[in-house]
Amino acid sequence: MLEPNAMTVTIIYLSAFAILLVGFLTAISSKDLIRLLIALELMFGAVFMSLIPVFVLAANPAFGTSIIAIFTSAGELLVLIAAVIIRDRRNKNVLIEQITIGGDRV
Amino acid sequence: MMLLSVFAGVMILSSLGVLLSKDNFYSALFMTLTLVMVATVYAFFDIQPVFVLIVFIFVGAIGIVTVALAATYRAMPERQFSWLGCILVAITAAVLSYFTFAGGRYQDMGKQVVFSLSEFIKSSEYQLLVVFLTALVLLLYLSVIRLYRGEES
Repeated sequence: MLEPNAMTVTIIYLSAFAILLVGFLTAISSKDLIRLLIALELMFGAVFMSLIPVFVLAANPAFGTSIIAIFTSAGELLVLIAAVIIRDRRNKNVLIEQITIGGDRV
Repeated sequence: MMLLSVFAGVMILSSLGVLLSKDNFYSALFMTLTLVMVATVYAFFDIQPVFVLIVFIFVGAIGIVTVALAATYRAMPERQFSWLGCILVAITAAVLSYFTFAGGRYQDMGKQVVFSLSEFIKSSEYQLLVVFLTALVLLLYLSVIRLYRGEES
């Protein structure tokens, strides 16, 4: 088992930031909803990664936070997957540029 | 330490694979690899319950559905990369690096991760947390089913 020290915490945070920023860039660059979904999952991965050092300070609250983060993010992604399928049924495509010209009519 | 660096390197490279891959299917596979690596780091610190949760729920359920969706919508493979977004990300990275690492605030913590699932479950407030969370997830799933059925009718 690895013991957390300054170096390991730095590696963990650096990789978490790197994944978060790559996910952010993927989300900005995405042209379809599938790529956006993948980018969101990547960003959630970065959030899980950044929770590791908290386990050293307070393990039980960190585990509670992890459970909440995992279940709520999985639920959120499930809703997005359902939205992608409904979107495809209605419009026969999953392109983001089609969404930006849409919207509700009052 | 060396193994952790290798895992972190593979993690960052596979996340770059998500960005640079033209095909959504390969992007989804790279994303799955990244999440498995994140879970592996948890196992590295002897936090197996979170490893199981991430691998089973995030990779096993949501990740596989994403891979299946990406395999379905894999037409028109084209590079999806925005240079404007790259500038924004570089600015964000600079700000994050400055405020997080410039002060050199990380010191040796001097203790191991001590986590026991049985101790966690014993505590009544965490039991309440799990009950509320289960109720929340059930409500969410019911609303998704309702949304889908409403769309069908």
